[in-house]
Amino acid sequence: METLGFLIDGFGVALAPHNLMFALMGAFLGTLIGALPGLGPANGVAILIPLAFSLGLRPETALIMLTAVYAGAMYGGRISSILLNIPGDEPAMMTCLDGYPMAQQGKAAEALAISAIASFIGSLIATVGLILLAPVLARFALTFGPAEYFALFLLAFATLGGITGKNPVKTVVAACLGLMVATVGIDSTGVQRYTFGTLELYEGIDFIIAIVGLFAISELLFFIEERAGGGKAKMAVNKLKLSWADIRNILPSSVRGGILGFIAGVLPGAGASLGSFIGYTLEKKAVGKKGFFGQGDPRGVAGPEAGNNGASSGALVPMLTLGVPGSGTTAVLLALLISLNITPGPLMFTQNADIVWGVIAALLIGNFLLLILNIPLVGIFVKLLSVPPMYLLPCVTMIAFVGIYSISNTTFDLYFMVAFGVAGYVLRKLEIPLVPIILGLLLGPEMEKNLRHAMDISDGDWTILWNSGLAIGLWVFAAVGLILPYIVGPILRRRMKVATAATAGNPEGD
Amino acid sequence: MTFNDRIFGVLLIVLAVAYGWGASQFPEPFGGAEGIAPGTFPTLLAVVLGLSSLYLIVRPDPDNAWPWSRTGVELIVAVVVLVLYAMLLEPLGFILSTTLAIGTLCWRMGAKVLNAYLVGAASGVVVFLLFNFALDLALPLGLLSFLEVS
Repeated sequence: METLGFLIDGFGVALAPHNLMFALMGAFLGTLIGALPGLGPANGVAILIPLAFSLGLRPETALIMLTAVYAGAMYGGRISSILLNIPGDEPAMMTCLDGYPMAQQGKAAEALAISAIASFIGSLIATVGLILLAPVLARFALTFGPAEYFALFLLAFATLGGITGKNPVKTVVAACLGLMVATVGIDSTGVQRYTFGTLELYEGIDFIIAIVGLFAISELLFFIEERAGGGKAKMAVNKLKLSWADIRNILPSSVRGGILGFIAGVLPGAGASLGSFIGYTLEKKAVGKKGFFGQGDPRGVAGPEAGNNGASSGALVPMLTLGVPGSGTTAVLLALLISLNITPGPLMFTQNADIVWGVIAALLIGNFLLLILNIPLVGIFVKLLSVPPMYLLPCVTMIAFVGIYSISNTTFDLYFMVAFGVAGYVLRKLEIPLVPIILGLLLGPEMEKNLRHAMDISDGDWTILWNSGLAIGLWVFAAVGLILPYIVGPILRRRMKVATAATAGNPEGD
Repeated sequence: MTFNDRIFGVLLIVLAVAYGWGASQFPEPFGGAEGIAPGTFPTLLAVVLGLSSLYLIVRPDPDNAWPWSRTGVELIVAVVVLVLYAMLLEPLGFILSTTLAIGTLCWRMGAKVLNAYLVGAASGVVVFLLFNFALDLALPLGLLSFLEVS
């Protein structure tokens, strides 16, 4: 009941007119970002963070807007999947399987509407799950000591490569690189580390600069290399003919997908890609031979879309309660929290209750806004898909420049951003994942602080790090998280590839 | 071919050694009663990075192709444009430098020259107006500062 009271207060925050306006703006921009191929939610949120700063928004308003961008981007990913057979981001991949065939059969409008409804249901289920689970988890996390936190951070790194990640050693390398960048600056005892006497480095390297560089600039460079801009025939959108029977048909799929997605999102390392994947495969199993999956079955659109959106809200659970993000985009949102001087984690639920519950309420409201935006206004987003990327990406890069410049008003940071962009490009080429680097940057100071505290308590005895049952449990999970991708990863990746190759290789599929 | 990971692994080991050496140079804080010194955490990182780089050298992944030749040149052009953009932002002012940077990037990505610079100019002006008037944040005017409304 306590939760309900907080939630009502949260609605009070979220329904304040200016917060509502920024939520609407975020939802719109997010859908746009998600719909455009090549710009994922992580990119979108990363680029908009500096802007949110330069606007001088209040913490809860900034957070509400960017959460709406996040949710919107997850909605938007499906538009290019359905109309172009190009997933806007990885989790939207499974939506291509039945969404594009539906569009080919002249049912693009239905596919878009069904996916919007399924996204809504998935998000709604996951948001309710978040409301129920987050306070419990936060209360549990309050029993963590510094040693447990240190182990928890290791767990986060170990699982961030994700079950679908490729080489776990590269995840470790990436995490180290991020943590190393985080040690630059003056440490808590007042010692200068790796500053080389440069005044600008005394405060450390601002992770917003690193994030925008790694995501936005490296994306531009990748685009130049691939030149994926060639126009692909876009499906025409017909007039919407959706009956109640159609909605009833996809309802069970959406509910199943949403629940599965939520679980995938909460579990560390699983994330939205896995959410949409299991949403699809289990839907196929549940419906059995009666379905015509891969040939435009509406349930094949609803399942993964609900899973995808369920997972993205689910990923907020560990981010909000433990301060440990489960995906790239939530890592970027975590960066926002830290730079707003809010320490994420269990204490946030007591110290910044208004912000947490305001954001959760905003997520609920955002879902309704997105549903309203997405059914009648889908035509606008469809039109915007025809903006050629060769104009779009340079403009996005400029926005990144403006955003970073307007935070500090010095060009010093811009050089750093470009350097991070080039580094991001090289690292992506070497298949070094970028998200652990970001996480290292974000969590580095906290991790070291907890190590220090643990050592202070134990008087320098390292065994304190694995002295409690909870800590040992976390270490074991971390080890499993690191080893599991070796065993399960190849199988899962092959299955996902087979599933998507089936339509991509389909002669009618293009 | 498995050169990428090997070369990268060697570079990382160099980095790990340099970083670890740096960590050993940090002064001990006064008192020294603390559990860990400023250098402890970096030393741990250097060891972990060193070990995982060794693994990369011993068991490298297959290479991704690097874009030599034309695409490589385009990439370098893009990076140079971005660096120049950062350099010229203040002396030339936001509108002019944006026109040049965005225009050049669009053009190199395959847009027609005129269209490219028109898009550059338009986006520069729009963003400038938006920031300076709607959002009340000053972007540099540079050479165009004679336009300033005083």
